Amino acid sequence: MKGLAFIARLRRLKAWLFARLIGPAARAIARLRPLWESLLAGLIGLAVGAIIMLIYHFNPIQAYFALFRGSFGTVYSLSEALANATPLILTGLTFAIGLRGGLFNIGAEGQVYIGALAAIALSLFKLPAGLHLIVTLLAGMLAGALWSLPAAILKIARGVHEVISTIMFNWIAHFLSFYLIANILVDPRRAEKTISILPTARFPVLMPRTSLSYGILVSIFFVGLVLFLLWYTTIGFEVRAMGFNPAACRYAGIKRWRTALFAFVMGGFTAGLAGAVDVMGRPPSYAIFSGLGGLVNLGFNGLGVAMIGRNHPVGIVLAAIFFGGLMAGGRLMQISPGVPLELIRVVEGAIIITLAVPELIRIFRLFRGKLLIWRRA
Amino acid sequence: MQGKSRLLILVVAVSLLITGLVLLPGAGQALKGRVAVILDVGGRGDLSFNDMGFKGTDEAAADFGLQMDEIQSASDADYLPNTRNAAISGQYDLIIGVGFLLTDAFNTVAAEFPNQKFAIIDSVVDQPNVMSIVFAENEGSALVGALSAMVAAYYGYPKVGVVLGIEIPVLYHFEAGYRFGIDWGNKKYQQVTGTNPNIGLLWTYTGTFSDIAKGYAASQAMLAQGAGLIYNVAGPLGIGDLQAVTEAVFAQRREAGPPFMIGVDANQDYLGDGHRVLASMMKRVDRGCYKAVADVVHGTFQGEIVSLGVSNRGIAISRYQDLLDFIEFGINAGAITAADKDRIISNWLTMRQGIPYWIWDAVSDLEMKIVSGEIVVPTANTVDEMLAIRAQYPLP
Repeated sequence: MKGLAFIARLRRLKAWLFARLIGPAARAIARLRPLWESLLAGLIGLAVGAIIMLIYHFNPIQAYFALFRGSFGTVYSLSEALANATPLILTGLTFAIGLRGGLFNIGAEGQVYIGALAAIALSLFKLPAGLHLIVTLLAGMLAGALWSLPAAILKIARGVHEVISTIMFNWIAHFLSFYLIANILVDPRRAEKTISILPTARFPVLMPRTSLSYGILVSIFFVGLVLFLLWYTTIGFEVRAMGFNPAACRYAGIKRWRTALFAFVMGGFTAGLAGAVDVMGRPPSYAIFSGLGGLVNLGFNGLGVAMIGRNHPVGIVLAAIFFGGLMAGGRLMQISPGVPLELIRVVEGAIIITLAVPELIRIFRLFRGKLLIWRRA
Repeated sequence: MQGKSRLLILVVAVSLLITGLVLLPGAGQALKGRVAVILDVGGRGDLSFNDMGFKGTDEAAADFGLQMDEIQSASDADYLPNTRNAAISGQYDLIIGVGFLLTDAFNTVAAEFPNQKFAIIDSVVDQPNVMSIVFAENEGSALVGALSAMVAAYYGYPKVGVVLGIEIPVLYHFEAGYRFGIDWGNKKYQQVTGTNPNIGLLWTYTGTFSDIAKGYAASQAMLAQGAGLIYNVAGPLGIGDLQAVTEAVFAQRREAGPPFMIGVDANQDYLGDGHRVLASMMKRVDRGCYKAVADVVHGTFQGEIVSLGVSNRGIAISRYQDLLDFIEFGINAGAITAADKDRIISNWLTMRQGIPYWIWDAVSDLEMKIVSGEIVVPTANTVDEMLAIRAQYPLP
């Protein structure tokens, strides 16, 4: 009798434990799975980078110490990491919005150029301080969205694949920028760059003696906006649903052109802003250099940022700061153990690729079903 | 009495010794023993401008027992952080910026770190802690311009070409001088032979100091339009220029030019097996960097403008001794091997002897007149000045 009661009590305890403690803990761990996956991937990446450096006879411990010190070790380096993250957050959003809606939109690169050029063009005019900044931002944003429209229209009207059209428009933007930089927006005294953004339209520096400007607030604001639009509005739900299962969406009466247009235009806004915010907030020149210089790869790096951040706005912020830190810290690896720039980029690439692997696997799984259907048809 | 004076002598001697020991290390300036070289987007391996900055600093570092760190920039967004990082580290006696594109970054950081010494090549940064090292590229370009025009005429080519990089004031110096030189060469050729060859100029600003393919494409186009010589004014792009020249030479089933390339900054004559680069407009960036480091070591560093030109051999057209020096440079850089040395020298001599002696004489004559001040080569710093010179020497 007594023994049975004890066993019953033990069972109740076990049930209680599972219901209240182990179950939630397991669910929490499961929810945090992306985090530990990323940590593991990051460690593998660091190990690969270390092996590469060892092959070339550089001390990886010393190098990684410099990398850390140069990325998050001091107030200055943290500011540089955040400054680098500012445009990457926005271009990461561009790609993430597209992918959430089932689009592989890689047009951010060209839209960044166009957004930056629009911002520069606005410095041909004189306006009062605050107004000038707002108008310049809006111009960059609209220019980015306008540049995304042709790809959107081609997709909606003719079914042209966005990978093809956006890559082509990236190149059109590339050479259009070359022309505008050298001929229309050129600084008459300094032919290697455009005119600078006028002081009335510049983002003030947030931390003195660093590159970090108030432009990061724009990025943070848009993270919130995209989070809200995608998860708390009807159109956002439709976009995400379209990404999950287009066939079901069509059955449910969701219009594909609406979600595609939303994803392209919203992506254009954020990419255009990325270009504008970068030139408006990057000392010392506040201008675009011939060859596009610092703008090159902001769009494509956004793709990596979105991958590492699991295409979620919050993840993108973290990933962009990590990415920005990697760029800032990489510079210091040249000074301390004297690793050459080329090798630093190889190491950075190894870390980024391994970090992107978990999300890449997920996307391939997601798209595999579609590919099979496409093959059968 | 005697004991006392002996004690006094001892005290004086000991105190002298102690002060000596204390002062001796401080007699020279306390050096940290490190210099940094910051490069712009051109980067290492161009066998030209950037490698020259590296070479001079490296030689100085070796001579004075310093350690040199090189910092490359992946894009223009790196200039300011790279310069700041070097200054913040506080471990450098001198931070050298190789290239005009670093101007804005040096201006900003030099003001933030008034106790850090800086030197910048190709630009004037007007701050007390920055040594600005500039070159009279127009003078050297006039020399190779005159040579190009006369050699093109001699081999029956209608044009000469110049492949330039990013449109910066420094490159206007090159273009202005080259135009003047071609014009001078045309006139000289007429004086000697009685016919004006009217050698025209083909010119392109490629907008890059790193995309070698653009140098190749530009040179190929110029060669197709009848250019007999291509002047490289874009650092690494010369590698592409030479590739195009080499293909044009091989297409005629020959090994030696014409057409030729004209090298820049370093002596590039040893490239192209010694007989496809006729001459180089040497801009001794290495001497500028060496001087900056030496001045810091000797405690004579000043925030001044150091101007190097034909008169003080900071600018020169390549000669035999330079060929020998730079063959070593090329071997060290891995561009050629020691086994190539003799063949390159003999090829080079044959190439140079293939051109009439009076042409070399004329170039020397121009050089002497520039040194004496009898001829002042025009230059340009702004778009308007450049347009004026293009109008004055259109060279169709």
